Amino acid sequence: MATLFWALIPATLRSTTPLLLTALGGMYSERSGVVNIALEGIILFGALAAAVTTQRLEASLLAQTPAAQVGWIPWVGLLAGALGGVAIAFVHALMCIRYRADQIVSGTAINLLAMSVPSLVLQSFYGNTTNSQEIVNRLPLWHGFSPLVYLAFLLVPISWWLLFKTPWGLRLRAVGEHPQAAATMGVDVLGMRYTAVLLSGLLGGLAGAYLSIGFLNQFVRNMSAGKGFIALAAMIFGKWHPFGILGATLLFGATDALAIQLQGGDVMPPVLIQALPFVLTMGVLSGVLSRTRQTRPPAALGKIYNN
Amino acid sequence: MLLLLTNLSAVLLFLLCPWWVLRREFGGAGVLAGTFGLIDPQQLGIPDTLAVGWIPRLSWAWVLLALLSCLALGIKERQVRARWLYSLGVGGLVLFGLGLLWFYGAVGVVNGAALAEGIPPTRLPLRRFSPSLASYASFAYALLLLLLGRLQLPGGKAFLVRRRQIIVPLSALGAAVAAGAVVVGLLRPGLGSSPDSPFFVKLSTKLDLITYTFQVLFSPITHLPGLFQSLLLATPLIFTGLAVAFGFHAGLFNIGAPGQLTMGAIATMLVGVYLPGPGWLTLPLSILAAAAGGALWGGIPGWLKARFGTHEVINTIMMNYIAASIFLFFISANQYRFFGYPVTLPFKAPGPEARSYEIRPESRLPSLLELLGLQGSGPGTLSWAWPLALLAGVGFYLFCRGWPLQRRCIGSLAAGLGGYLLGGILPGWPVEVPTGLAAIRLNGAFLIALLAVAVVNVYLWGTLEGYELRAMGFSPRAAEYAGVNLGQKQIWAMAISGALAGLAATHYVLGAGLEEYRLKQSLPAQVGFDGIAVALMGQNSPLGIVLTALLFGVLLTGGLRLNLELGISRELVTALQALIVLFIAAGGLLPGYFTDPLQAAQVEMDCDEGST
Repeated sequence: MATLFWALIPATLRSTTPLLLTALGGMYSERSGVVNIALEGIILFGALAAAVTTQRLEASLLAQTPAAQVGWIPWVGLLAGALGGVAIAFVHALMCIRYRADQIVSGTAINLLAMSVPSLVLQSFYGNTTNSQEIVNRLPLWHGFSPLVYLAFLLVPISWWLLFKTPWGLRLRAVGEHPQAAATMGVDVLGMRYTAVLLSGLLGGLAGAYLSIGFLNQFVRNMSAGKGFIALAAMIFGKWHPFGILGATLLFGATDALAIQLQGGDVMPPVLIQALPFVLTMGVLSGVLSRTRQTRPPAALGKIYNN
Repeated sequence: MLLLLTNLSAVLLFLLCPWWVLRREFGGAGVLAGTFGLIDPQQLGIPDTLAVGWIPRLSWAWVLLALLSCLALGIKERQVRARWLYSLGVGGLVLFGLGLLWFYGAVGVVNGAALAEGIPPTRLPLRRFSPSLASYASFAYALLLLLLGRLQLPGGKAFLVRRRQIIVPLSALGAAVAAGAVVVGLLRPGLGSSPDSPFFVKLSTKLDLITYTFQVLFSPITHLPGLFQSLLLATPLIFTGLAVAFGFHAGLFNIGAPGQLTMGAIATMLVGVYLPGPGWLTLPLSILAAAAGGALWGGIPGWLKARFGTHEVINTIMMNYIAASIFLFFISANQYRFFGYPVTLPFKAPGPEARSYEIRPESRLPSLLELLGLQGSGPGTLSWAWPLALLAGVGFYLFCRGWPLQRRCIGSLAAGLGGYLLGGILPGWPVEVPTGLAAIRLNGAFLIALLAVAVVNVYLWGTLEGYELRAMGFSPRAAEYAGVNLGQKQIWAMAISGALAGLAATHYVLGAGLEEYRLKQSLPAQVGFDGIAVALMGQNSPLGIVLTALLFGVLLTGGLRLNLELGISRELVTALQALIVLFIAAGGLLPGYFTDPLQAAQVEMDCDEGST
């Protein structure tokens, strides 16, 4: 039992990382008043961009020397992943802010795109629709953990400081609570919203890169498996606050790690264990919303701002 | 300014794009004819007898027309400008017609000569030929000129705004097609071009690739088996589109259609396989089970929203994943261990494939051809029973507008029954069923879908409950103030929405939509997501949903051929649907007075004042 427990802690940290990155990204977006249900799609596009870029970069090298390790390649892949996330988040921002689309419908459309566009890309590069070619140059491990694990946990206090201790954070929260008031004080409401949504794309893209070139060594179709939605739920459960989000994602990460541990045992059939995180998410959300009336989303969340 | 830019890009389009494809091989490579002569990257060659001299002349005529319309836009007087644009538009249509006439005439001459020599139709020198991008563009351009002419006259804007129910989806469809074209163009090399071809050839073949991709996608409308197959693929889309639209009318966004469909499939499988009894009892019960399974899975998020206030979007997504797990639990294996104890389930049929046992023959939905009294391919007699029943039922309902709803419905049912009996007595109509048609498993679920559309239509716009539901969708607070029990209504709306999605399972399980009368792992649950695109593009209206589902059915059928011929994944169609959702959400990228009802009303009012 004790060994199981000690095995669970690093596994928890690993499965918390993508959730934490994504949820923090979602927090910036929603604090600025833009619902970001597109997180799932952002992760997938980030993962795709990272995996394909890394594979393309190393392809010519591998032709000369098989299994060649080049230090800088995965970092460029990581950058590509982040940019992929930013690009797709920009589409969301453009639709929601410039064209005043319903934010949930726009996010859903992006998630649907993330289910089909990767297949088209994969088919033109690799001739199949389900996965990319495996890569050799994965992200390195620092003391057993991917650098993104450290980054994710570091981002929690940084986000807290940014959001609650800087003028920028105050403006961001003002834009999400009462955009008209913020605009009267000279805050560029639309600019803040664009920044926040792009920031969520950056973090979601990093989470995707973590999955495809950190955790695995290839892109697999729908590899995020609902992580974006769980992150969204964790963000609500964490009351749109960095430390709350840390706690919530640790809970979901631990469930995920536990589910992976249980897969091998005979406590429950594996197909049902896969559903556990989702059941837990629904339960937790319903529980927290009924218990406390304090959990209040940003007041202008999902509302279209006409300037 | 914007219009001038559009015009100049039209000139560029007419100059650069291929106008006609004189000949095309399987796989796409072909001989293109453009403004600057023929482009033949694969050296396929065309017969000497084919007249092509008219092509550059016609293209230059179009360029001239576009330049003229640039000038026409500069005319100061509104009326004169409108008159010029109208005449240029009509001129464009004439030119387009002439082009078609010459093209098909020239091809007909060559093929006619070959036929006269006794060459069989399958080995003609020009077997596949078509107009290409510039031809379509020129047609659209002529229509655009006419529209521009209308816009110059008073009330032009209101003319468009009144038709926003059609214009917004069409504009979104156009934007999605354009974005899809860009994706295809970026990912694929031009048809028949090689890396060292000159730039102009590369460009032309790429434009040809884009055109051909969409030609293939829309091709099923041109032949009967293709249309039948499209109807088959449209059937589940009608259900899921209706489910999502029903949610929208109640102000709820049901993204849970995939999960509801899955649960409906499991429920209908359980009843259809294991409930013994006569067919007239078990078939309706199986259909009801599908609805009940979906209603359960939709009702839970509805209850959670009513009781705890959790947003239905997150919950329905979670329920999708849970349903997928339960689905695999039922049919992927029979031996499980719970806390170390072995448990054996009876549901998975033996064999390597994950599938259930077969549905009992009594509980199966007959195919549409069987309903029409036809047995397989070859000669048969068409029975009038079902067509007449449908005609009488719908006709009665539409005819007796003045009657109270209850009497109208009962009368409509009676008329349908009468039509069925009358059709059964009438002598059949001898027809010849082609083999391609008989293989397509279009089944009774299509009729259930049409029935569901009718019922939803009556419920939403004909009953008090439906009115309350829509009131809640427009403004929950106002509805609550008027005495609507919001919580109860939300649960009810989500349950019905789920039931509609669950009914889609009847097509897959009871109607053998998956080739066999079983529940199989290949159940395409993501059809539930496609329902979002159907509902949005159909503007949540029943007729719009049916038409959109048909359109998507055509695209999906074309997608099958696309994969065969060009090696482009049929996921392109899914991507197109997603893009349609995106662009409809953005109001078709049109100005605010198309999407915002208040601004639209303002525009219409201004027009009325101006005309009086």
